Amino acid sequence: MSDTPQTPPAGERIWNFFASVKLSFSLLLVLAVTSILGTLIPQKESLSAYVQAYGETGTRVIQALRLNDMYHAPWFLLLLACLAVNLVICSLNRLPTTLKLMAKDPQADLKRSPQTQESCTLAGAPDSHLERAQALLQKAVGQVSAGQTDKASVLFAQKGAWSRLGVYVVHLSVIIIMTGAIVGNIWGFAGRMNINEGQTLDSITLDNGQQRPLGFALRLEKFAVSFYEGGSMPSEFRSDVTFLDQGQTVMQAVLRVNDPAEYKGVDFYQASYGQNVGRLEVNVVHGGHKHPVQLEHGRWVDLPDGAGKAILLEARADIHMGEVYHGPAARIGYQVEGSEPMALTAFKAGAPFPARGPVSFEILDLATVQYSGLSVKHDPGVWFIWVGCTLMVVGFFITFYCAHRKVWVRLTPAGKDRTKVELAGSTNKNRLGLKRLLERLGAQMQSKSGE
Amino acid sequence: MEALSNTLAVAVTFAYLGISVAYLGGWIIKKATFLGRLATLGLWLALMAHTASIVLRWLASHDLGFGHAPFSNLFESLVFFGWTLALLYLIIEIKTGDKRMGAFAVPLAFFAMLYALKLDPAIKPLLPALKSNWLIAHVITCFLGYAGFGVSAALSVMYLVTGQAKDPEGHKALVLDDLIYQNVVVGFILLTAGIVTGSIWANSAWGTYWSWDPKETWSSACCLRTSA
Repeated sequence: MSDTPQTPPAGERIWNFFASVKLSFSLLLVLAVTSILGTLIPQKESLSAYVQAYGETGTRVIQALRLNDMYHAPWFLLLLACLAVNLVICSLNRLPTTLKLMAKDPQADLKRSPQTQESCTLAGAPDSHLERAQALLQKAVGQVSAGQTDKASVLFAQKGAWSRLGVYVVHLSVIIIMTGAIVGNIWGFAGRMNINEGQTLDSITLDNGQQRPLGFALRLEKFAVSFYEGGSMPSEFRSDVTFLDQGQTVMQAVLRVNDPAEYKGVDFYQASYGQNVGRLEVNVVHGGHKHPVQLEHGRWVDLPDGAGKAILLEARADIHMGEVYHGPAARIGYQVEGSEPMALTAFKAGAPFPARGPVSFEILDLATVQYSGLSVKHDPGVWFIWVGCTLMVVGFFITFYCAHRKVWVRLTPAGKDRTKVELAGSTNKNRLGLKRLLERLGAQMQSKSGE
Repeated sequence: MEALSNTLAVAVTFAYLGISVAYLGGWIIKKATFLGRLATLGLWLALMAHTASIVLRWLASHDLGFGHAPFSNLFESLVFFGWTLALLYLIIEIKTGDKRMGAFAVPLAFFAMLYALKLDPAIKPLLPALKSNWLIAHVITCFLGYAGFGVSAALSVMYLVTGQAKDPEGHKALVLDDLIYQNVVVGFILLTAGIVTGSIWANSAWGTYWSWDPKETWSSACCLRTSA
């Protein structure tokens, strides 16, 4: 029974599980496939949209697996976390071996004698070629170590040992990018502000609907859209803003699409624009009399003559209804004491619509104010992302283009006054490249050996 | 200028077809080595005309008053894709001296251009979100990457058609295998760089470097798939 393999302790088993390359491959494939799934199922739609597309049962499955917000679902994040753990443990597991390979004493390599890949015979004793072989090897590969075996002189050189670290650079870059995303999620925030021309705001609406104070204020001086010549295609959206800190103007900036501005680590992006209704002036028509009144959003206004009260619900500066009507329109909430409130539509005077209800309203003036919609974010993780991305590209470059090559040159006496030159090499990738290098070295040894 | 650019694009498209046929002829009819030389010469000329077409388009957009680099829509991207395919193939031909690959690689350039010709070639002004140097870098890196994958796919077809799989250790098979690998690597690194430049652009336009939109997700899925 002594040969029954002992089950390793749990810690070691978990370590080995996360150190396996098979796990990396599986995780990468699963991540790729599930990511694609997330593009096939529309994300963050309303519940009814899913019911319409996938039926009741389908929707229940989607909800249970959080497929409607897949990239933020716990299981997806868990997969990413597994990948991170996998990368770290894989790296820790292999790094010591790699470092040992890199730091290996050339003298130890010198004694190895890999299979000869190129050979030729030259006139002259081995010693007469030694210096030249050394120079060629030095130029083609690098630092040469020389030694003797019983008969032969052996030269050894290597280059690109550091390239074995390329894969660790890639792993590190993934971890840094993930760190950046986490840092951004924890310590960053994102939201938006709709700001009227001339208005000063010191807080934003976060994506979850809450207000967040900025600690400074922003004033929109002016918003403008410019168009390409002779067309309706916008060429530029631009907001001229002023940053105020403790009441003092500290910075002026122009926000354009693709050209954000930053103050105290908070970035402001031009995102949208539109018109807010500032003030609505109407005539109240009640019992044959007309009275001018100003209506507002969010505040009931008492009408003269005890005609009740009214509030502005919604207004458009310009609506087109074919030949029938063209001009401003507003929806107004109206209530007489002791009865249910109702919604009435108002147009400018003389509009060909019959009045409904006890009163009617005629629009006298609709003042609109331009607003600019800004996306606002603070992301302290973004520099991790850029550093990680750069490292990743560099790491891939090293991994694919730099190889750890070792080259041996053996010079053996071959009969009277002749030398046998043997070339051998080893590499961790791109064997064809090594083969070409050996061929070139062989040719160089032969070509000028007569000189 | 715009008209000349478009005419050149049409001419180049059919030149690629002719050149493909010449490469194919040179490969099948072993004695007709002049066909191969003709094809190479033709390809150089076509590439020059292709370059001229792209440059003229660039200049024309400036004449229209809203100059922008000609990498802004599908038409321009495909024309650029065809250009990178032709260029990459010519570089490989110079390095290896093997003209047979032209019969597999140049048709790709032809089909890319043919697809482009079916689209509206009008030069249009750019939407504000597309006005970014990072976008230009993004398009260039991505399409160079696509060209790398395209050429490697063409070479893989050649590998199979010419029966290299029977003798995978043969010299020709090894050389071809190496070329395919090199092209995939170039494609992979450039696509990675393409995703990065795309991210930088998105960060400056929308304030987010990644928003899990379908295109981003697919590209990262391709990236993961390739690296696995």
